[in-house]
Amino acid sequence: MLTPTAQSRPIVPFLLVLLPAAFLLIFFVIPTAFLLSASFIESDGVIMTGVWTTQNYADLLSRPLYQQAILRTFLIGIAVGVIVILVSYPLAYFLVRTTSPWRGFLIALSLSPLLASVIVRTYGWWVILNREGAVNTALLSVGIIDQPLTLLPSSMAITIGLAHALLPYGVLTIMASLNGLNPNIERAAMSLGAGRIRTFLAVTLPLTWPGIVGGFLLAFAIAISAYATPAILGGPGTQVMATLIRNFMVQALDWALGSAMGAILLVSSILLLLLTSALGGRRAG
Amino acid sequence: MADPALRLQALVKRFGAHAAVDGIDLAVAPGEFVTLLGPSGCGKTTTLNLIAGFLMPDAGFIALNGKLVQDLPPFKRDLGMVFQDYALFPHMSVADNVAFGLKMRGVSREETSTRVAEALSLVKLDGFGARRPNQLSGGQRQRVALARALVIRPAMLLLDEPLSNLDLKLREEMRSEISSLQRRLGIATVFVTHDQGEALTMSDRIAVMSDGKIEQIGTPAEIYERPSTRFVASFIGSINIVPAKVAEVPVNGYARLETPAGPAIAQVGGAASGRSVMLTIRPERLKLAGAGGAPSGAVAWSARVGRVVYTGARLEVQLRLADGSEAMAEATNDGRINLAEGQGIVAWFRPEDAWVIAGA
Amino acid sequence: MNAGPWNLLRIVVAAIYLFILGPILITAAVAFNESNRSYFPPRGFSLKWWGEAFAPQWVQPLMFSLELAALTAIVATAIGIPLAFAFQRYEFPGKAIVRTITLGPLILPTLVTGIALLQFLTVIGLGRWLGYWALLIGHVIICLPFSVRTIAISLQAMPGSVENAAASLGAGPLAVLRYVTFPIIVPGIFAGMAFAFIHSFTDINMSLFIAKPGQRPVTVAIMSFLDFGFAPTLAALSILSLLIPLVLVALLGRFVGIGNFLYQEQGRG
Repeated sequence: MLTPTAQSRPIVPFLLVLLPAAFLLIFFVIPTAFLLSASFIESDGVIMTGVWTTQNYADLLSRPLYQQAILRTFLIGIAVGVIVILVSYPLAYFLVRTTSPWRGFLIALSLSPLLASVIVRTYGWWVILNREGAVNTALLSVGIIDQPLTLLPSSMAITIGLAHALLPYGVLTIMASLNGLNPNIERAAMSLGAGRIRTFLAVTLPLTWPGIVGGFLLAFAIAISAYATPAILGGPGTQVMATLIRNFMVQALDWALGSAMGAILLVSSILLLLLTSALGGRRAG
Repeated sequence: MADPALRLQALVKRFGAHAAVDGIDLAVAPGEFVTLLGPSGCGKTTTLNLIAGFLMPDAGFIALNGKLVQDLPPFKRDLGMVFQDYALFPHMSVADNVAFGLKMRGVSREETSTRVAEALSLVKLDGFGARRPNQLSGGQRQRVALARALVIRPAMLLLDEPLSNLDLKLREEMRSEISSLQRRLGIATVFVTHDQGEALTMSDRIAVMSDGKIEQIGTPAEIYERPSTRFVASFIGSINIVPAKVAEVPVNGYARLETPAGPAIAQVGGAASGRSVMLTIRPERLKLAGAGGAPSGAVAWSARVGRVVYTGARLEVQLRLADGSEAMAEATNDGRINLAEGQGIVAWFRPEDAWVIAGA
Repeated sequence: MNAGPWNLLRIVVAAIYLFILGPILITAAVAFNESNRSYFPPRGFSLKWWGEAFAPQWVQPLMFSLELAALTAIVATAIGIPLAFAFQRYEFPGKAIVRTITLGPLILPTLVTGIALLQFLTVIGLGRWLGYWALLIGHVIICLPFSVRTIAISLQAMPGSVENAAASLGAGPLAVLRYVTFPIIVPGIFAGMAFAFIHSFTDINMSLFIAKPGQRPVTVAIMSFLDFGFAPTLAALSILSLLIPLVLVALLGRFVGIGNFLYQEQGRG
């Protein structure tokens, strides 16, 4: 874009960016950095003593309860990631390839859960999975079981709830990847004799692999920091990192552990982000 | 003597280490239609952007009607510009688009609506005022862009490859329309294109550009008949180029030459000097005859017929000259030419139809 | 296209839609229960829980959420416009860094951003900001990426030479912004506001840590009441709070063409 202002007044971008950047610096960058450093400072409740220590991490990681929570969080994250990509791929493929006039509506429909707060999404699962809920009622009436199953609170319930909530992210990522695919490549394969399924396995799937990995990592990253769904579908015995953080920061007021756990979550997310961009460097053909 | 409508002097524009415009001198007289012609990357669009004020030159001067403007921003230069993608404001009606320049100049509402109607009439879009750009065809959008640029009665009109997005028939139609409009209004115009057909049919003068420099400025006839460099010669139309050596010093502008295809006599222009030169003949000036059929005074070479390409109104005859090099003759398809591949033939031309340029 | 595999795909897709929409529909159905239990299929039929959802104790957080979301959207847009222009139109030293800190909140867990803000404000003595002001700040930070992105997208999509055309016709830089640039990017601005509004309205992770008891968004209010059980009132309330973003998106889709921005959006919830 050739406009004279862009050339002759280099001060303009600075003026535009100054206040917003200052705002973000003060209320986002510094607090986040502070959190990281606070995890290395001794705290008594909410008062920081200013003494550098790694005791916070030691305390956190030495208790089996917390170890399990961290492990549970990551395992759920992986499971959620896998379910999300397995379920969202067919949906994304359909949405990209369909010629139905309802296509726009169907896409919006698949993304509509994003508009619902997590409570709406999770509530339904609670209703479905609890002892008097739909699943148990159905299984009882058919006679498969004669006592209602305790399906929640459990890690499985959390996994299902999270996978459900994060499906739209998988759909978006994989749709973007499929859209970037030149349709002529599939046609070339078919003209050379590959059937629909062969073409998919040999051509489409490998070329959309970056989108699949991206979708997995996105779902994983969001899942490990989720609070509401694990809080609703889980219980005291199925803590995840987010629910523990809430306990530490707001209930037990133990900011030493809270910032340590928060720092672990933060660093994990950053690592996942870096992993995503490193892998995202390869674009689908 | 009146100031030229536009004068460019020693104009330079660099992008990094590369000089996109490398010392341009040009004067456009009032009412004149000048075309900047050249392949992509030659600097013609950069030059236009410098004239319009979207780029600032690194060196040199730009004067509009005698006034130095190279430091003025585009909105102070009183120019009318038509962009390659027309750049109509998508959120405004046709009438509002055309009225925009008048609005910026604070013209009253009554006068604006009169002038807008006039301008639309000028481009044969009467009654289109209420439509929106997305309801118009490519050709119609172009006319709106023209009307918008002309309604403000600018000192100069700039056109940036306006016809390249149109299909062939429309392009030819718009060519003559723009030409007649320009002549009628008498407005000085700079037209940028890579299409030589447009340049030749529309311009008063053509500036052929290459690598940021102007290779030659002249009328269409001068550029076509008397190209000063090999680049200009081969950029416009097709041309046969035969390396030659000057055997005899030029007398009355003509010299005897030795070429691999045979001896020749041709006009030697002022630029050609030294013993190694290039002899150029346009295909339509290269005639064919049977053995001994060339008229006296003509330069005659023996040749063999190669492929004959049928293009409808004309026949392109590919020839192999005595030294094995290739040439092309172009003849009107009068229905009576009968040539067989491999046939021996005489290719002849009049000395005044050939043109010698410098170089090896 | 071979019919066989494609038909199979359609069946699978239908099942997936059932999976996606099921829980939401079930939540809505539950709100019709006669008694105060969350049975599905609902037993009895009653609208009283929907009525309950309009009781003052719920209307207050709902209004609070709406107000907060609206304010967040406005502030995020106000900050987002100059940022989008700076990113889209200029090169300057530190651009990558500013870009990273602008989009960072989109990528990092909202939870972490929330507790970081909580801790920071408390430690520097601005604990009294917790509640309204801290909430606003926190929400603006996590919603800013949405408005910046959509505005940047519409700047990028602007037809190439229109601004130059305006300048060539005599419009100075301010006139160009006023008559050409802004009118053309208005849809992007509205889309950004809508996304920011929705993101703020549905947020729970940040609000849970920053909100004070008297000043709670509806999401936090519902969460706290879940401690006492899954009453149909909460179901009704949840569905009602779904309708607001839904209507917003539908309106904007109709008038502003929000669809263009949806597929580029890959933000976090």
